Amino acid sequence: MINGSITTNARGEEVIGEGIKFERIRRITGYLVGTVDRFNNAKRAEVRDRVKHSLSL
Amino acid sequence: MEVRQRMITTIIKRDGREVPFELEKIANAIYKALQVTGNREYKAAEELAGQVQTVLEERFTDKAPTVEQIQDIVEETLSNAGYSRTAKEYILYRAERTRIREMNTRLMKVYEDLTFQSADENDIKRENANIDGDTAMGTMLKYGSEGAKQFYEMFVLKPEHAKAHREGDIHIHDMDFLTLTTTCCQIDIEKLFDGGFCTGHGFLREPNSIASYSALACIAIQSNQNDQHGGQSIPNFDFGMAKGVAKSYRKNYLANLGKALELLADLPDGLGTAKAIADQVRAEEGLDPILANDNGYQEAEALRLRERIDPALIERVQRFAVDKAHKETDRDTYQAMEALVHNLNTMHSRAGAQIPFSSLNYGTDTSPEGRMVIKNLLLATEAGLGNGETPIFPIHIFKVKEGVSYNPEDPNYDLFKLACRVSAKRLFPNFAFLDAPFNLQYYKPGDVRTEVAYMGCRTRVIANRYDPTREIVTGRGNLSFTSINLPRIAIKANGNIDNFFEDLDRKFDLVIDQLLERYKIQAEKRVRNFPFLMGQGVWIDSDRLGPDDKIGEILKHGTLTVGFIGLAETLKALTGKHHGESKEAQNLGLDIIGYLRRRCDEAGKKYGMNITLIGTPAEGLSGRFVGIDRKRFGVIPGVTDREYYTNSFHVPVYYPISAFEKLRIEAPYHALTNGGHISYVELDGDLVQNVDAFETIIRFMKEIGIGYGSINHPVDRDPVCGYTGIIGETCPRCGRRDGEPVSVEKLRQLGVYINYNSDSIGYTGDIHEEADRIPNPLDLSEAATATPTTTCETEEASL
Ligand SMILES: [Zn+2]
Repeated sequence: MINGSITTNARGEEVIGEGIKFERIRRITGYLVGTVDRFNNAKRAEVRDRVKHSLSL
Repeated sequence: MEVRQRMITTIIKRDGREVPFELEKIANAIYKALQVTGNREYKAAEELAGQVQTVLEERFTDKAPTVEQIQDIVEETLSNAGYSRTAKEYILYRAERTRIREMNTRLMKVYEDLTFQSADENDIKRENANIDGDTAMGTMLKYGSEGAKQFYEMFVLKPEHAKAHREGDIHIHDMDFLTLTTTCCQIDIEKLFDGGFCTGHGFLREPNSIASYSALACIAIQSNQNDQHGGQSIPNFDFGMAKGVAKSYRKNYLANLGKALELLADLPDGLGTAKAIADQVRAEEGLDPILANDNGYQEAEALRLRERIDPALIERVQRFAVDKAHKETDRDTYQAMEALVHNLNTMHSRAGAQIPFSSLNYGTDTSPEGRMVIKNLLLATEAGLGNGETPIFPIHIFKVKEGVSYNPEDPNYDLFKLACRVSAKRLFPNFAFLDAPFNLQYYKPGDVRTEVAYMGCRTRVIANRYDPTREIVTGRGNLSFTSINLPRIAIKANGNIDNFFEDLDRKFDLVIDQLLERYKIQAEKRVRNFPFLMGQGVWIDSDRLGPDDKIGEILKHGTLTVGFIGLAETLKALTGKHHGESKEAQNLGLDIIGYLRRRCDEAGKKYGMNITLIGTPAEGLSGRFVGIDRKRFGVIPGVTDREYYTNSFHVPVYYPISAFEKLRIEAPYHALTNGGHISYVELDGDLVQNVDAFETIIRFMKEIGIGYGSINHPVDRDPVCGYTGIIGETCPRCGRRDGEPVSVEKLRQLGVYINYNSDSIGYTGDIHEEADRIPNPLDLSEAATATPTTTCETEEASL
């Protein structure tokens, strides 16, 4: 199946988007990267470990 | 005559082949070892070789010996005969040959993996996240790069530098370009466009409209990128493009004046008349129609129109031309910026495998033309690419300056607020703080070249020890940089701070020696080796040299930079706590980085070069150092127990801390790292709904003395329905899960399914976003009317 083509599901509905992943843009050493897939292993781990910073003073 | 038990006739080579035994080869190898110790008698070597043969014949009666076995016997024979020095030399010679052989094998193994593994499986192919390692050109680049690295390691680097790099004491960045070029440059786009330039593929005239200005800016970045191995930046983008806006305005004004003259005043050739008057006014009074419309051009023009049309019509004709020209120029500028962003995300350099690493600095041009550029560049970035995707390039750096763009009464404050809004959606711009004392000391009002500009990832060049009269950013950049593995020094010091600093001294000296060696190679290059960077006068003072001149002297305007990684792990190893956890650790951290800075300054003075300190942007490095160290020292909690060392002087990403506290801890390091720095905070929640919080943090960065900073937050997009924002498990708009299909009917109902008849993906644009986009508000006071929410809580990232 071609990504993004229309197929018919079990209920006979036309559906689209099978196999199409969400894009998750992240910043890595200053540059944006479209998907985490392109990161090397260490950077993937670093992105996974990131915690959010609170805004409390 | 005695009959030998068995003649050795063949030996087994390393690759398993059996080849004829040649006694002479053994004699030659021994002779080489003897020569090193001063013995030049070939006869001695022949005798020793004969003894080796005797031993071989005794031991290998039923099979051929291998090369390794023969070499063992040579060693043994040399020692037994009393040649102990020679034996040692022979062992060294053997070890070196083995290393070279292993490297060759390793290189072939790397080539094999590059050839037969996809980027999913192969970390080298993902070393640089912006090169697609799966394309033909991407793989070709990697073959070249890996081969070059090993060649330099074996034949160019001093052995002690190669060893330190190989073993992970230091990291020589961009080693594949060791003998070829320098890192990066801040391109003075105003100077470059003045009179036109040559790309190597033809001469380009001075551009004549904002559209051609922006197209040429892309070409300049692309051309320069081919001459250097790092990124390319424009430090004065707003000032450079403003001239294009002025030219477009003049054209649009005259075209519209011409129309009005034909329509309202019945002139046969309106445009001809408009142009004739404009040329006359320019020649006689030096005036042009300008956006601000306050220079007296209109009055001068009115005087001349009086002779040609009914004076009662003049005001109307001119008002029409001004209004229309303003709108059209604004539209032209938006389209030019849209095209620029699009081009910088799709154009390729370096054999087609890499998008140029582009950065644009702007924010301080307060002219109406400059402001129009900034506003439209931000709006085009906010709108995103064709299908609403977040642009990856260029990196935007918005310059924050009191009196210009920081306080509510400042002329570009509205643009600062817009920059916050856009960054809250698209992650760019980052923010450069011109008022940080270490940046302010160079600032001369009215001279954009003295405003600090950053190379996207963080590199900073402004001071100039080589030529203190040229403390400017334009035409300069980094020559090369090498990083020190700080955590390893700390692990080896075993808690002893004195030992730590002693070892740090040794590593620092090694790095300086290596950087100077590399500079010597770079200095031998000639102008013609860099057709754009030097040939077109982009690099400072290169316009004073001829094509065959060496560039060593003018390169001294650039920086040699010492980097470091893993301050956090270093402090953990030395004190048990990192600088986010304890005040004492923070003090020691400042001592260490302050010491490195002092050593850089001293080295700079000694060698008359710009030697600076950078908090390393460690894309390929963060995993390499820790991997080697874990193998060597085992898993040390808080030090080697993760897959990466923390970037530069950052508080570890895994450590829960408030945004403000993190910035407070990191700010003093910005003052010390004159070669480059950046601080990030990670926020959760949809910041588009909370631009005020965003601005509060950026203002805090400025007040606390950060030089360059940015805010990270999740930016997700569903390519099927076009939703951009935060996507958790399911898309908030169409409800589908990652990789799962959604019904076409549902997309129709949502109004995001346009292309009914195609069997390709239905989504061709984001109707919702496009609807948001249309107003392109000119009144920027509305730019940040978000209601503060409190979604920015500490929370594990869901990735
Ligand atoms: Zn969706």
